Amino acid sequence: MRVTPITKTEVISRSSELPSLPLIVAEILATLDDPECNIHDLCSYIVHDPVIAARVLSQANRAAYRSRSTVRDIYTAASLIGFTQIREISLLSSMAMFVNCSFQRTSNNYWKHSVAVGVCAQEVALHISAPIFSEMALVGGLLHDIGQLWLNRFCPEEFAATIEFALAYSVGIEEAEREQFGVDHAQIGAWLAENWQLPASIVAAIRCHHRPELALNELLVPVVSIAEVFTNALDIGAPVENRVTRLSSAACTVLGLKVDDSIQPLLGRMEARSAYANTIFCRDVD
Amino acid sequence: MRYRTIYLPMAEAAAGMTLAAPLNVSRQGLQRFSLPQGHVLTEDNLSQMAANYAEFIFIAEPDGRSDEQVAIDMARVAHRVMEIFAGADFNDPILLALFDQILTYRNA
Repeated sequence: MRVTPITKTEVISRSSELPSLPLIVAEILATLDDPECNIHDLCSYIVHDPVIAARVLSQANRAAYRSRSTVRDIYTAASLIGFTQIREISLLSSMAMFVNCSFQRTSNNYWKHSVAVGVCAQEVALHISAPIFSEMALVGGLLHDIGQLWLNRFCPEEFAATIEFALAYSVGIEEAEREQFGVDHAQIGAWLAENWQLPASIVAAIRCHHRPELALNELLVPVVSIAEVFTNALDIGAPVENRVTRLSSAACTVLGLKVDDSIQPLLGRMEARSAYANTIFCRDVD
Repeated sequence: MRYRTIYLPMAEAAAGMTLAAPLNVSRQGLQRFSLPQGHVLTEDNLSQMAANYAEFIFIAEPDGRSDEQVAIDMARVAHRVMEIFAGADFNDPILLALFDQILTYRNA
């Protein structure tokens, strides 16, 4: 093990070297159940962000291709593709830029995996008709492994050795991390999410995504946990590192998710939507 | 003829493709549009699906591979799935069930 275990104080202290989480992420999450919130406020923000605006227009023109018309302004795009998609595109684009700026050595595989888990979390929630905002599932999935980025940035050699050990001995990465650092990436990610003042359900989903039994009362926890297992099982994102060593039966029970033939369409949607999202949003991460 | 099932984004859908599963398009909790499994898509269907914001469809496409190629592909798939599940305890029924479903999905 590393001489001194990693502590919360060290994680928060070193995270001050990183850019702030994009304001739009917190604003979108804070207004999910606000009946006063309207799409024009979000569009007014997007108009001033060329990267997000480009993504929104691109998506709207894909949706409009059969009418052979070209969408050129954000407000028309918003009416065509809807509030939920606008929010999702804003979240994915802003998070991609944040990850790229904060952790310059981020591998494309990390981001592909995170996007896939975000999309798969949305699909799991839809499959079981969970009363969870899809944007919460998306952000929980996008950030679930943020602790690994912290480890990769601030303890790169030890982290690389930990991954090699986990692969060589077929143990879960989180077990290997606890052995090396005294704490795993899930806990580090939760400390970061708390520091960024993200909703408690997202903090819990990050902290417990490898041990969902610790917080099954928070539905987003088993959703993100199962989404990650399914993402790895489908071999999406990080081909060399994808492993499945555990699936929580308690998490499946609490969601009413049966692992039988009924999940075949779910697996198809997960794989297709992840591939589609990654072709669009992985261009933002080098 | 043998068929394979794949999920396609709407932009890649074309008239003449056959639905591998029922298509139900809902928006804001209301069902807007539905087509049965086995339906052959027409241009009208595609326009209606686009108008109702359908994003993905499950398609059955002819599988032109030889029996030999199918066997090679199945062996390659099984090897990779075993690699992913290398650390799994198959005495755990839910892990075994997931392993089976992934193999079934990959060989569909």
